[in-house]
Amino acid sequence: MPRVKDELLELWRFRSLLWQLVRRDLKVRYKNSRLGFFWSVAPPLMQVAVITFALKHATDFAKGFESYSAYVLAGMIPWTYFQTAVLDASQSILLMYGVIKKVYLPREIIPLAGAISNFIHFLLSWLVFFVYLWGISRAPILPTTLWLPYLAFVQFMLVTAICLLVACLNVFYEDVKYIVSILMSLALFVLPIIYVVEQPLYRGSRWLHGIGFQLYMLNPLTSLITGYRKALLEPPPRSVLGGPSLPLDVGNLLLTGLISFVLLVASYAYFNSRKWQFVERP
Amino acid sequence: MTSASLAGTEEPMARPAICIENLHKTFLLRHRTAGTIKRAVLNAFLRNPVERREVLKGINLTIQRGETAAIVGRNGSGKSTLLALIARVYKPTSGHIQVNGTVAPLLELGAGFHPDLTGAENLGLYGAILGLTSRQIRERAAQIVEFAFDTPDLAEKIDVPMRNYSDGMKMRLGFSVAIHTDPDILIVDEVLAVGDEAFQQKCLRKITELQQRGKTILFVSHDMNVVRRVATRVIWLHDGIIRMDGDVDAVVDAYTRSAEPPAP
Repeated sequence: MPRVKDELLELWRFRSLLWQLVRRDLKVRYKNSRLGFFWSVAPPLMQVAVITFALKHATDFAKGFESYSAYVLAGMIPWTYFQTAVLDASQSILLMYGVIKKVYLPREIIPLAGAISNFIHFLLSWLVFFVYLWGISRAPILPTTLWLPYLAFVQFMLVTAICLLVACLNVFYEDVKYIVSILMSLALFVLPIIYVVEQPLYRGSRWLHGIGFQLYMLNPLTSLITGYRKALLEPPPRSVLGGPSLPLDVGNLLLTGLISFVLLVASYAYFNSRKWQFVERP
Repeated sequence: MTSASLAGTEEPMARPAICIENLHKTFLLRHRTAGTIKRAVLNAFLRNPVERREVLKGINLTIQRGETAAIVGRNGSGKSTLLALIARVYKPTSGHIQVNGTVAPLLELGAGFHPDLTGAENLGLYGAILGLTSRQIRERAAQIVEFAFDTPDLAEKIDVPMRNYSDGMKMRLGFSVAIHTDPDILIVDEVLAVGDEAFQQKCLRKITELQQRGKTILFVSHDMNVVRRVATRVIWLHDGIIRMDGDVDAVVDAYTRSAEPPAP
């Protein structure tokens, strides 16, 4: 496909702009605040604290976990990355509208820069997580931690794919950003963030048996969040789950990698097919 | 089609800087009649009427290397659209544009600048938008600042957030960055009018210097004094077609006469 090659070459030619935009994002985000990076770690930490408190006292959901908050945090960090990156992307092109109306530049650079700067925040959040997990909680370092780079990379492809798609669509239909933010608040409960996948599976929800569970695990985010937990944390006791803990599912994770890659290619192609119409929307 | 701006310097000198053949550009315009809630609800369900407006109706134009062409014409005659097509912001609806050499458009005030970043940081960002590499930006930063802020009281503001800049200072920095990208073709769309007298003089001198170095300049202006002083050729666009093209004085005189109210 010669056209894709040309597009990628053109992107490479503008790499210094991409780098400048990433740096701008990182700098601007906390430019006027005193505590800087703290503000990107604080919201998920506070959320985890509130969820842990509420669920420990209101339900038996969290009972029996060695460290329930570590589980929630391991779901919340990838989730926060996905959410902020996609919400940022939905506005990204319109924020740069004044520039793209005047200057030629590969338009995909704009959502890409947002996806990359959010990825950097995501990696920093894991650092905070490990300080908590290994430094404060003294949890053992599992050999499966080596899965983390693979999982982070797959998630980067997935997030970038959705960012490109949402950024492009929102130029033409500004309803998209509202739809996205509603879906986000739903997804917080649909995804296994405040619970682990075994809980609904063994609790006899009739949707989550057999093929239903397979489909649920086909969602790349479900698969990734579950993957992070299985790779980094020891399984919760059987009594909490209501059955045996499922092993780290290598096949499922490889499939998720493939799905994310295909999504990225498709969404990049779609973005490119429409990117020259951005400045001409009626 | 417009791949030529990649080519840069290895192009033979004989080729014209810009070659435009039978260029058409049509935009879709959606009319939104705002007002009542009933109207708004209807608009959400019915598709608003879309008008196709042909802004450029067949432009043929060749601009040689080293020319300074001024484009004049009434508001809405297609001047900015033509410049944007040359800068590759729009794709032609039909027809052909060939641009030989690198193009730097001089941005409008504030576009591309981020208010929370300092002048120095914005300089890097804007330079990258215009296609400079990180290394080129580092090498040229000092020159750019010196050209933009020639007095000490201005120069010390380079590390202050851009929101504390006046419009004139943003203009100075923007012009300075665009000039120092050392483009083969500089595109200026009605922004030279900002800046104090001293800086305007300096810009005009810089433009003269670029002309002497054989650069191609394309600018839109409503200031006929600037046009007469700088341009080597004037193109008068009227309603999407070229009405007159050629000698500076002849075209400017004709254009000025057309703008006068008809004699009673």
